[in-house]
Amino acid sequence: MNEEREVLNYDALVVGGGIAGGEAALNLANTGYKVLLVEKDRSLGGKMILLSKVFPTLDCSACITTPKVSEIARHKNITIFTESEVTAIVKKSENNFTAQITKKPRYVRVEDCTACQLCEKACPVSVRDEYQFGLIGRKAAFIPFSIANPKAAAIDIENCTLCGACEKVCPTHCIDFTMETKYYELHAKTVVLATGFNLFDPLLIPRYGYGQYKNVITSMQMEREIAPTRPFNTILRPGDGKVPDRIAYVLCTGSRDATVGNPICSQICCMYSIKQAQLLMGALPMADVTIYYINIRSFGKGFEEFYQQAKGMGVNFVKGKIGKIAEKENGDLILRYEDINEGVVREAEHDMVVLSVGVKSNPTVGKIFGRGELKLDPFNFVAQEDLLGSPSKTSIDGVFVAGTASAPMDIPDSILSAGSASSEAISYLIQHQEL
Amino acid sequence: MKERIGVYICHCGGNISDYVDVERVRQAVENDRGVVLAKTTVFACSDSNQNDMVDDIKKHNLDGVIVASCSPKLHLATFRSVTERGDLNKYTYVHTNIREQASWAHSDDKIGATEKAILLVKAAIAKSRYAEPLYPNQFEAEKTIAVIGAGISGMKAAVSLSDKNTSVILIEKENKVGGHTATWGPLAMSDEKGSDLSHRIYSDLLQRDNVTVLTGSEVISSKGSIGNFTLKVRKRAQQAGDPVETMEFNVGSVVVATGFDPYLPKAGEFGFSSYENVITLPDFKHLIDSFSGKYLEYRGKRINRIAYIYCVGSRQVDGENRYCSRYCCTSVIHAAIQAKKKFKEIYNFHFNRGIRTYGKQELLYAESLQQGDIYLQSFEDAPPQVYAENGKTKVKIKDVLTKEKELEIEADLVVLVTGMVPRADNSIGTMFKLPKGRDKFFNEVHMKLRPVETVIDGITIAGTCQGPKNIVESVNSALSAAAKSYSYISKGMLETEPIVAEVNTDLCAWCGKCAEACPFDAIGQKDVNGKQVAVINNSVCKGCGMCAPVCPPDAINLINYSSEEIMSMIEQLAGG
Ligand SMILES: Cc1cc2nc3c(=O)[nH]c(=O)nc-3n(C[C@H](O)[C@H](O)[C@H](O)COP(=O)(O)OP(=O)(O)OC[C@H]3O[C@@H](n4cnc5c(N)ncnc54)[C@H](O)[C@@H]3O)c2cc1C
Ligand SMILES: Cc1cc2nc3c(=O)[nH]c(=O)nc-3n(C[C@H](O)[C@H](O)[C@H](O)COP(=O)(O)OP(=O)(O)OC[C@H]3O[C@@H](n4cnc5c(N)ncnc54)[C@H](O)[C@@H]3O)c2cc1C
Ligand code: SF4
Ligand code: SF4
Ligand code: SF4
Repeated sequence: MNEEREVLNYDALVVGGGIAGGEAALNLANTGYKVLLVEKDRSLGGKMILLSKVFPTLDCSACITTPKVSEIARHKNITIFTESEVTAIVKKSENNFTAQITKKPRYVRVEDCTACQLCEKACPVSVRDEYQFGLIGRKAAFIPFSIANPKAAAIDIENCTLCGACEKVCPTHCIDFTMETKYYELHAKTVVLATGFNLFDPLLIPRYGYGQYKNVITSMQMEREIAPTRPFNTILRPGDGKVPDRIAYVLCTGSRDATVGNPICSQICCMYSIKQAQLLMGALPMADVTIYYINIRSFGKGFEEFYQQAKGMGVNFVKGKIGKIAEKENGDLILRYEDINEGVVREAEHDMVVLSVGVKSNPTVGKIFGRGELKLDPFNFVAQEDLLGSPSKTSIDGVFVAGTASAPMDIPDSILSAGSASSEAISYLIQHQEL
Repeated sequence: MKERIGVYICHCGGNISDYVDVERVRQAVENDRGVVLAKTTVFACSDSNQNDMVDDIKKHNLDGVIVASCSPKLHLATFRSVTERGDLNKYTYVHTNIREQASWAHSDDKIGATEKAILLVKAAIAKSRYAEPLYPNQFEAEKTIAVIGAGISGMKAAVSLSDKNTSVILIEKENKVGGHTATWGPLAMSDEKGSDLSHRIYSDLLQRDNVTVLTGSEVISSKGSIGNFTLKVRKRAQQAGDPVETMEFNVGSVVVATGFDPYLPKAGEFGFSSYENVITLPDFKHLIDSFSGKYLEYRGKRINRIAYIYCVGSRQVDGENRYCSRYCCTSVIHAAIQAKKKFKEIYNFHFNRGIRTYGKQELLYAESLQQGDIYLQSFEDAPPQVYAENGKTKVKIKDVLTKEKELEIEADLVVLVTGMVPRADNSIGTMFKLPKGRDKFFNEVHMKLRPVETVIDGITIAGTCQGPKNIVESVNSALSAAAKSYSYISKGMLETEPIVAEVNTDLCAWCGKCAEACPFDAIGQKDVNGKQVAVINNSVCKGCGMCAPVCPPDAINLINYSSEEIMSMIEQLAGG
């Protein structure tokens, strides 16, 4: 590698701009440290910014995330790199880390873009919209989503045909196809890893028919259908656009299941399914919502009460393990399940099935460090070396872990974990201050 | 008088606009006196709208700003800072809540909700006309922080503050540190002994010269407020004949880490105190840790068959404790595995209500199934029963798997898996006036935005005093609280809200009614030219306004809520 690298100096590097990384960056910046926040996606906010409302308080997720994100974006001590990846981190000595960063071009000058969407209208290319989890399409020139930060257009160069239509209509001339990948070398004194989690891929369980039956969707897709920034104006099943009135949830999809290599519990899916069920009951008062579960894990502050409330609202809870899902000609679905309370195998018909997919680790984080330096647990989460004494410490002194990068957790726990990681990072910076 | 007011009406992405016709609200207020700009916006709090607002303030030369949106608890601070970025004094901003108060409260009546929203916005405009620039009170903060309670949470908070070069006073009621953790043997999820964990953190603390540990000590009074609390601490006599010491400390912030009590079953609850072989989970943990024979014994009798009854004192259907205690499924399964490994011929029967070994803790559940433990789950409204028959203790359950058939198991020992409850001794809560949640644990300001802060500025909460937690969760919360408390004092200067009560000393005749009404003890008495009058402590006053209406000669005024402002708002709410 012999590209020119611009050299940067910051006190702290935070990798990952989800709620955990954002919280950690804010805590450090508010204490007076200069932070570089590196996010690989086009917007800050991680998974949370795309959620509808959040359990157990039913706060609107955007209402909590966007102001946080905008505080981060405006903070004088925080510099944000989106569309950027940390490719390597080397610890030279205590308090002295060197990181290599690659910043991909957006082909839009963010400062000048007014998000007028004219480029979006002009662009002839349509592709799957990853921010709506494939429920609809988007253009190759596009604003990622309405509350994205930065809120500016981006060009998806992989799908762009270089027709130039967007460039012609852009009133501020901020589209620039000459932008190039930039490389940086960063010197930082401490590192916080907040690289988050991956969703379980339901294609790994073919008997549920995801990808094959159109009316089998994931919980993240349902999250989009009920979010304020939703793709359609109502809830509908993708197969034929019908408003569903018998909706089923399949809990533990890809969790607590050794056959797919993930024996652990994802800790959030019981609760988010109960939340979605409550929201669906509100939006579609006539609909029946059934949740198929093994155990309901409503363990946090206010969670059990939230579960009881859902029962009170009429959500139907069935203790049963789903064997197989089959599709009828009209797109309705037949669930074959073992009814544990009754001890028999039964079938039930639903017109839409939501797979409550679990939390998987994001293993890319291990590769940033030299071989074996950053220890991972058996599931490829970042290992917590002093689990009970200092949960955010990793195998490398001065590198701390925040949020779901170390284990499945919900938003409140991710925020406390980020508080813990940034607190340790501040202590580390103070203890290793040069005099 | 403000004459160039900008009004923003938020859709809240449907939360408001699904029930309130926001465009109608806009039209209804756009011609009100003083309004030069009225707009609707999908998310007022979004970055792009914030930028638009700043531009509007400058372009239209606004002198007052109103956002009609969600609760001020969520976004008052957000929009005050937007106003400030537009170079206006942030206290000229007026917030009005048309989400909780209009759209959510009247989701069954869209027309009514819209009308109410219109009146609320008109009232805000009326108030905005009188809004005056204000400046926060500034003062210097004490650089020392007190931590109350030296369990794992308090000790970790103290280590973390000490690492940030901050002096710490760690105050523990008992003669020993470590709280519950110090009493446990091997723990989930690392198998480290609680006593070792507590010891290694305490040893670390002892090496620090900026930490003072006071055991056998209690805070008996607190005066002052954020930045300057004066705590009076009483240290018990360590030996008979020693004097009781009373000390005073000035601290800038307080971390409360007073922990939990294990639930104590009532007499007769699942046979507790009726049968001598019915014990609680803490007792059981202590038993298996301390007993060293080949076979487990309790009160001289050999134990083979152990029945664990889950959720005792938690998830109550009839009782007060509706919540799940979250630590106990994992802890009891861990203890059952330990027992089986350590002693011969142990058979474990788990009478549960749905196992909650969330996250990686699921691996323990799998291990316990692997070692042959039996799990029986009861229906929620039909808990298992413990009874004695022919001198044997038995447990009876209607298991969800076998449905109607009742199963009966004979047990040598019955372990009640008791949950966590708030400390019975609430002296700290009373002293600092800390609010409690539905579960009676101390309550945070906002679970996601301000999870370790309380409504009392300068007091943070750490660990299980906020709600049930295992050790990992307790420590994360403790380190977050330490960082938050540190942030209050680290800059040396502190600012508090200027919205406080003020006394007109000419009118005041000191009757003391205001002092009685004040929930924060912010009102005292002082002599002004030979006359006794009320005096407000600005850094304690929260501007709640409880004092103003009780004053007979109307001598108290609330800054930012003057009689003029309030009357003009009422006039609008009453229909102009
Ligand atoms: C369907 C669904 C519904 C949910 N509902 C709720 C709810 O109602 N309440 C609740 O409390 N929780 C809920 N959750 C859980 C919540 O989403 C998580 O707790 C939270 O998002 C975790 O935040 P995080 O920052 O740890 O991870 P993430 O949100 O995954 O953020 C990680 C960030 O790091 C970036 N990143 C990853 N790798 C790199 C890299 N190498 N370099 C740079 N950047 C990188 C990613 O792009 C991402 O932006 C829900 C989850 C799902 C799936
Ligand atoms: C039976 C059982 C088994 C458990 N097993 C596990 C396990 O395997 N793994 C795990 O991670 N967790 C386990 N836990 C949970 C763990 O014990 C708690 O998470 C931890 O003890 C919480 O620590 P804390 O500091 O918040 O509270 P505490 O341990 O309660 O400490 C609070 C401290 O504050 C002091 N205090 C109280 N009031 C005052 C006052 N007014 N003034 C001064 N001091 C005061 C108390 O004396 C005490 O020292 C278990 C809990 C129980 C009950
Ligand atoms: S140049 Fe690319 S992004 Fe622009 S309009 Fe054409 S295809 Fe779309
Ligand atoms: S949280 Fe619930 S749905 Fe998710 S893996 Fe755990 S038990 Fe299954
Ligand atoms: S953690 Fe388990 S035993 Fe404890 S209250 Fe919750 S469900 Fe019951």
